[in-house]
Amino acid sequence: MEFAREIYWNIGHDAPVLLPMYLLSLAAMAIAGWGFWLRIRVYRQGKPAVRTADPAGRLALLLKDALGQVKVLRVPGAGTAHALFFWGFALLFIGTLLIMAQADFTDPLFGLRFLKGNFYKAFSLVLDLAGAVSIVMLLGLLVRRFIVRPAGLETKRDDVVMHALLLLILATGFVIEGARMAVTELGTPLASWSPVGLVFAQTFAGLGEEGLKTLHVGTWWLHFALVLGFIGLIPFTKFRHIFTTPANYFLVDDGPKGRLSTLDLEDDTAESFGAAHVSDLSWKDIFDADACTQCKRCQDRCPAHNTDKPLSPMKIVNQIGELAFGSPGNSLIDTCQKEALWACTTCLACQDICPASIEHVSKIVDMRRHLVLMEGEFPGEEVTGAVDALEVNGNPLGMGYASRGDWAAGLPVVILAEDAEVDILYFVGCYASFDKRNQAVARSFVQLCAAAGVKVGILGKEEKCCGEPVRKLGNEYLYQSLAAGNIEQMQNYGVKKIVTTCPHCFNTLSRDYRDLGFAVEVEHYTVFLEGLVESGRLKLQTEPFSATYHDSCTLGRYNDIYGSPRALLEAAGCQLVEMDRHRAESFCCGAGGGRILAEEKLGSRISVKRVQMAAETAAPMLVSNCPFCLTMFEDGVKGAELDGRLIAKDLAELLAARIQP
Amino acid sequence: MKILVCIKQVPDMESKFRINGAGTWYDESDLAWRINEYDEYAVEQGVRLKEQVGEAEMVVLSIGPDRVKEVIKKALAMGGDRGVHVKDDAAFAKDSFEIASIVAEYAQKESFDVIFTGMQSQDRASAQVGVFLAEMLGLPSVTTIVDFSYADGTVTASRELEGGLKAVVKVATPALFTCQLGLNTPRYPTLPNIMKAKKKELLTVEVAELLKVDERLETSRVYFPERKGGGLVLEGDVGEVADRLIAILKEKTTVL
Amino acid sequence: MKTLLVGEYRKGQLRDSCYELLAFAEKLGAESTLFLVGSPTDLPRTGGKLYLADVAKYGEFNPEAHKQLLLDVVAREKPDAVVFSHSSYGWDLAPRVALALKAAQISEVVDVVDGSFVVPSCNSKLRREVKANTAVSVITVQVGAFNPGQPAGTPTVVALDTEAVGALEFVGYETAEKGGVDLTKAEIIVSAGRGIGKKDNVELIARLAEALGGEYAASRPVVDAEWVEHNRQVGSTGQSVSPKLYLACGISGAVQHLAGMKRSEYVVAINTDRDAPIGEVADVLVIADLLQFVPVLTEKIKAL
Repeated sequence: MEFAREIYWNIGHDAPVLLPMYLLSLAAMAIAGWGFWLRIRVYRQGKPAVRTADPAGRLALLLKDALGQVKVLRVPGAGTAHALFFWGFALLFIGTLLIMAQADFTDPLFGLRFLKGNFYKAFSLVLDLAGAVSIVMLLGLLVRRFIVRPAGLETKRDDVVMHALLLLILATGFVIEGARMAVTELGTPLASWSPVGLVFAQTFAGLGEEGLKTLHVGTWWLHFALVLGFIGLIPFTKFRHIFTTPANYFLVDDGPKGRLSTLDLEDDTAESFGAAHVSDLSWKDIFDADACTQCKRCQDRCPAHNTDKPLSPMKIVNQIGELAFGSPGNSLIDTCQKEALWACTTCLACQDICPASIEHVSKIVDMRRHLVLMEGEFPGEEVTGAVDALEVNGNPLGMGYASRGDWAAGLPVVILAEDAEVDILYFVGCYASFDKRNQAVARSFVQLCAAAGVKVGILGKEEKCCGEPVRKLGNEYLYQSLAAGNIEQMQNYGVKKIVTTCPHCFNTLSRDYRDLGFAVEVEHYTVFLEGLVESGRLKLQTEPFSATYHDSCTLGRYNDIYGSPRALLEAAGCQLVEMDRHRAESFCCGAGGGRILAEEKLGSRISVKRVQMAAETAAPMLVSNCPFCLTMFEDGVKGAELDGRLIAKDLAELLAARIQP
Repeated sequence: MKILVCIKQVPDMESKFRINGAGTWYDESDLAWRINEYDEYAVEQGVRLKEQVGEAEMVVLSIGPDRVKEVIKKALAMGGDRGVHVKDDAAFAKDSFEIASIVAEYAQKESFDVIFTGMQSQDRASAQVGVFLAEMLGLPSVTTIVDFSYADGTVTASRELEGGLKAVVKVATPALFTCQLGLNTPRYPTLPNIMKAKKKELLTVEVAELLKVDERLETSRVYFPERKGGGLVLEGDVGEVADRLIAILKEKTTVL
Repeated sequence: MKTLLVGEYRKGQLRDSCYELLAFAEKLGAESTLFLVGSPTDLPRTGGKLYLADVAKYGEFNPEAHKQLLLDVVAREKPDAVVFSHSSYGWDLAPRVALALKAAQISEVVDVVDGSFVVPSCNSKLRREVKANTAVSVITVQVGAFNPGQPAGTPTVVALDTEAVGALEFVGYETAEKGGVDLTKAEIIVSAGRGIGKKDNVELIARLAEALGGEYAASRPVVDAEWVEHNRQVGSTGQSVSPKLYLACGISGAVQHLAGMKRSEYVVAINTDRDAPIGEVADVLVIADLLQFVPVLTEKIKAL
């Protein structure tokens, strides 16, 4: 027999069918288009943003992330179910398109039929399996949502409608196929190429040809109506993410991760800074709300949310959408709540895991900018004090600036003002300069450089805070002042290469300062030292020890530096026990987002939580690469009462103890 | 209403001080400068009074070299309307009487309704300039205020006394007030205000035009205090030091 | 040298400051006469002449009237120096008198050296030696800088009168929220300064105080930050204490704080800064990070 089927069997394919079919389809698409148009008008309330550079690259990214479901799959379980469902549904959609292509174009115009023979066998089989997989996955997601009920997953009417509609569409699809096969294919070899349909056909077999034909045509039109309903509802329900989420893949920020906009503070005409209303945000910020499917992966990973602070990144994104579409005149900050906004540590866990490529952090910082620059508000008196200290002495610790280089006395380091002929400028940072515990890290780094024959220079009292903590808190003005001072000094000395022991300084100098016209090579010490070890300039002796390693947010998620520290740990003889939350899934120490300057007044302590994760590995040592992390972990060990069972160390200290004599 | 706020730029007290070559004051190199902490409260109170009254002008005045313009600008950014910089590279060498008379010479040309000063400066801490200024201008003065309210030409202020006690005083303007720490919470200047401040009038006057008196006080020398003998210094391993301290306390006191 | 010493009367009582002024005059080797706006029922216990104006008529706080009364006495006695305590009464009244007498004012004297007066500067980190070049000088003396002897005697009283004039209206006193701790009775005090870093760390101080069987207190910045209640503040604007043992943790030793605890019998300071002014009054200075040292000390004391 011929392996093909009569397309539109029992339905008909002339004007009384085609006309309403196409007209109604066009109508449904028009409604969807109009629905999106209404939404585009709301996005436009926001400020301009250009996200179209390198369209080919963006398109490639869209195809990879959307078709490949790469981001969705980062979380197995629900992620796998969604991916399989998506592919199943996509295949069914392609199948429908192929049928339309043959029935309305290639066959009537060219007499070409391709839905036959081996192709048709494959076509039938694939679509049957796709449909079956889709239903199973959808049922799985339904069970998750309505029976398992994971904490924090909100279910709204939208979700019920979507589940019901999709299930019905898939089910009616199989009913149609079953009814048709019961009449046209049962008993033929073709039937086994549609195994799921076959089951339905066998179930319906007893209905008799008249009954089956009625069932078939009725369900076909029902299925058609459901699909049109689905199309029309897209922009009005969470279904819109079918378009908005892939669009967000296209519209990504092509700059460094976690990038903040550099405000033009010379602009005399600017009357307002930061975001107080949705119209102060960009259209992309408002659009992000539409790309969100409330999957809560961001919230699940947020260190603030996980320690009972009122912040949920997902909620902030949704609140922006609610205001934009509802009452845009309302205060954005009052809606999102100051305590939630100040709780953010800008760790980027939310942005990193978001399957819709939403940018949570810059929205929060924009609102902080309004609070600081327009209202002069900070999260607490202790922060106001630290800001004052930064303005007077260039460091938040209130130490006299003139003693910034004193830690280096007697060490193999030169002050650039006395000798500018150096191999690297070591940008020390506030904590390593003034904080006793972190001065040990600075000393270790200098010893390692000396052992490798690298001549190190520091700015000493001419160095000021890089400005990152206050920038993240929203004080763009103070950040730019501090940065300008540092840039001037470094340019004066014609510095060619900078190494830092602080990831915040590293990220700020290598990325943020670019916007201010500074473009010198900057490396974090882990990458720098790894280079020295690899080239043989730095020789370490292995002294075995067991430890777990904390990927700091700024080195890890912001800059993707995961390998170099681990290579160094191996060279040092570390038996590394990884925490569950490591690499991109690392859990913040709590000091990011400028919060190193603030007191943690709400909920439980983030540092204690992270330290407990380290303790769970049973390793006696917690190694980190950031002065903020080290400070927080020293605190956290005491707070978690793990004194004596867990010791906090910086990687530099371990390496310095293993320099080959 | 016309308000005058007198402010001083002082070194950050966390700085490591060195004596200058002449031995008459601290060496200025390597010092971080800031507005005198007491004066910050004075500026804030001046701005609050201005905001309350509405039809008011606040003038900010400071004496010293060019660097003091920074603190005048900060005060303008907090809400002052115009600044007066009395340029004097040797301000550090003048005594309170000279300083007060310089300000009085300027202030008597404008009739100020309310004058705020800090109760003392962090470096010299004489606590004289405010009251001297008031007496020179023939104004009543209230010192060490930790509370201030104004209504219909009368001020009700609380003076901070010792032991947690306060004295409530009433006086009609024009009057002068010297401000104690904690009088209010000084605002952090907003960015638009910082930018506006750059355009506000900042008049520079040479000190010679205003100084018409001689000094009454002479400083013969400035030095670091000697450490009193008998003060034992302990450092080292925390546990060992704690043991030693306990031993000393057992020996020298009856508390353990 | 002749001095006129100005006593203080507050809340119906004579304040002890006049005895410190007498000690100061003695150190100068000067004759002294006393002046007081007070009550004949509460006179300073000392010999010598006392010019007394009735506080019932002139009020405890009336700078202009007090100034006028003082100037009358100055005209009669012609002292070389008019001496006040550097208190909220003294620093308010002294400049008014100084200007009227065209006298130099020397504030907060801590010592006398070869006829020059020593005053602190820059948060007590420096010392300045100053001299007046006017005929008469007005001096204020730091509280607690000169140790009063045992007061004894009865003064010869000369009554004063003048026109009561004043633009300032004294409405009344207000007390800060009291209740709870009376630090003046505590024998052991452990005090927290800015060095504790944050509110959470007050607990370390409180625990040490408890282990020692004493009370915990704080310096002004800690109270201003609302980490500790006001009634635990030690200093010139808080409580003045004289316990057997005073442990200053992370306190730099600003003059105002020292004024409140200088009379402690034994002072131990814990600080990372060996140059902190608290070292001036400390019998023992422990150079350590208090966040590490205090818990260790607490454990060892508990184990005793």
